[in-house]
Amino acid sequence: MNPTQPTQFWTEADSSSSCDVLVIGSGAGGAPTAALLAEAGFDVIVVEEGKWVEQGSVAPFSLEQMDQQYRSGGVTVALGLPSIAYTEGRCAGGGTEVNSGLYRRPPGEVIERWRDRWQINELDPDSLLSIATEVEQAIHVTPLPGPASKPSELLRRGAESLGWQFDESPRWMKYPNNDVRQGQRQSMTRTYLPRAAQSGARILTNCRVNKLHMKNTSATSAEVTLGTGKTARISFKYVFVCGGAIQTPAILQRSGLHKNIGNSLAVHPTVKLAARFSEAINIPDDVPVHQVKEFAPDLSFGGSASHAGLMALALLDQWSQFGSAIEQWRNMAIYYAAITSVGRGRVISVPGLKDPIVTYRLTRRDRELLRSGLSRLSLLMLEAGATEVFPSFRDAPIVRGRNDLTQLQNSFNAMKASVMSVHLCSTVAMGENRALCGADSFGKIHDTHNVYVNDASLLPDAPGVNPQASVMAIAIRNIRHFISHEKRNV
Amino acid sequence: MQRAPSLHFLVHPTALSILRSDLPKVSADVAEQAANFTVRRIRTLPSHMRIGVTMIAAAVRLIGGISPEQFVVRISHTHLPLISEYFRLIRSLSYAFIWETWPDTRHDGSTSDGSHL
Ligand SMILES: Cc1cc2nc3c(=O)[nH]c(=O)nc-3n(C[C@H](O)[C@H](O)[C@H](O)COP(=O)(O)OP(=O)(O)OC[C@H]3O[C@@H](n4cnc5c(N)ncnc54)[C@H](O)[C@@H]3O)c2cc1C
Repeated sequence: MNPTQPTQFWTEADSSSSCDVLVIGSGAGGAPTAALLAEAGFDVIVVEEGKWVEQGSVAPFSLEQMDQQYRSGGVTVALGLPSIAYTEGRCAGGGTEVNSGLYRRPPGEVIERWRDRWQINELDPDSLLSIATEVEQAIHVTPLPGPASKPSELLRRGAESLGWQFDESPRWMKYPNNDVRQGQRQSMTRTYLPRAAQSGARILTNCRVNKLHMKNTSATSAEVTLGTGKTARISFKYVFVCGGAIQTPAILQRSGLHKNIGNSLAVHPTVKLAARFSEAINIPDDVPVHQVKEFAPDLSFGGSASHAGLMALALLDQWSQFGSAIEQWRNMAIYYAAITSVGRGRVISVPGLKDPIVTYRLTRRDRELLRSGLSRLSLLMLEAGATEVFPSFRDAPIVRGRNDLTQLQNSFNAMKASVMSVHLCSTVAMGENRALCGADSFGKIHDTHNVYVNDASLLPDAPGVNPQASVMAIAIRNIRHFISHEKRNV
Repeated sequence: MQRAPSLHFLVHPTALSILRSDLPKVSADVAEQAANFTVRRIRTLPSHMRIGVTMIAAAVRLIGGISPEQFVVRISHTHLPLISEYFRLIRSLSYAFIWETWPDTRHDGSTSDGSHL
């Protein structure tokens, strides 16, 4: 068997199957959960709604990738004033297959805040960070083996010129022949999912879990829909719901579990701009590795994928004034300002609708941070040598010098901006604080016997850094705790 | 199975009108491909968004009456919540499609050699 391929153990004739542990979702939370359980000898089935897409078979950041590896083609929105566009991976490996691969350890003070406010037992920064070290080895976290791309260097140059703190974010990548342009993302289909399969886990792709069947406080089986549309049932002793911060609460709500489920969505909202330089700088298929952290954790700056299609989107809100810049897209790159929001959102599963409704409310402080973030980011780009900056909001001015920043500040309104987020978490916070938490200190849903969550939903609030490392470290901590307590029961 | 053709009927002409107005030199073929792509993508929206889009699209078609093209062009620059988001969705999808497929398209929809072929 090729260990990078899912085991196709399920035939169309099957209408049921069973296992010790069902893992729903194969992303940053689900894949390590499945691997560690299988390696500990549990009989595991992983059910993944998306398909298995070999890395390199679709162009990164392309519309085809959106079609194949994102939920709803990447067009999903949290309703609010303003609405926030968000994206979720939907494929084997989840978000880890499509994301930028920028690695950030969970900050020690964030772990302490989570422990104290949400009352998480046995959450200790040192041991979580030592798990992070293991993750770094398992997914090969490494700095670039050579010089960064031009858009990345420009971020660095702007920050240096302003005396602002910046650094290079390492990535989960392998670089054959130390070639920075040949990076191969060490996502879950390259790391933890093959490990799970090698230890006997059965991985079923193209299969969606609709809901869990509950009997009193225990779940007994899951109703699934196969790629062909046929429904079937998988029974289990334990279930780990790892569908990501939007789908996990939706699955739980459809199963009748509601207490503190889905009412505390946290995200890192971002606003963006396009910056034009006097020479060709665009790298269509990669993102900058430098991040500017001078105002962190409230505010961070970084770069986005910038091919011509995405550039057209960045200029869209002011097309009549900005549109002609698209002809210079090779001299341009897109940058973002991300904030650590204190607003919250909801995930609401409505009977009869397949997808949950998602809402998000930015606070006044969040809106102000977005305004100052976009203004500071524009300044950063001017210092980096941009000749023109095109902020992405309706009625935005073209920024050509520092004098234009006041006009930018005055005309910005979050309602006019295209706000988006790719970092979603906190919809089933973990901890013993029953007023806030849907799950206990190790991810078991309160007042159930065998229903666990183990993904981004558990993070009590937005970590203020790229979250995948936090998601993975928490998932591994929780699964080790589970194995040490439940091994004798199966 | 009824929903798919009706979504095409509701959204496709609106997308074409917007593209012809925003990008006056876009070729008929490119506009047609972009509008088809837009409809395909709208079909895969989450269920509640698809329902919302269908309702707004139907209202736009209904109110547009006998000169839908002029009406769409006028209203497509509105700032009213929801309605503006519908037009923004159409523009986002079709612009992304056009510039990803033909990156050297000019801002008026033309190409340097005068065609997209
Ligand atoms: C475009 C993008 C860029 C990002 N960049 C970075 C970055 O640079 N660094 C970083 O640290 N983080 C980044 N992130 C965030 C990171 O990818 C997520 O935090 C992480 O993947 C969350 O892990 P998860 O397990 O909670 O969910 P996911 O990784 O999203 O996995 C959930 C899986 O569950 C499956 N699923 C959902 N519902 C069901 C169901 N009903 N039945 C079966 N399967 C289901 C989904 O298809 C999906 O595969 C990015 C995310 C995106 C989308």
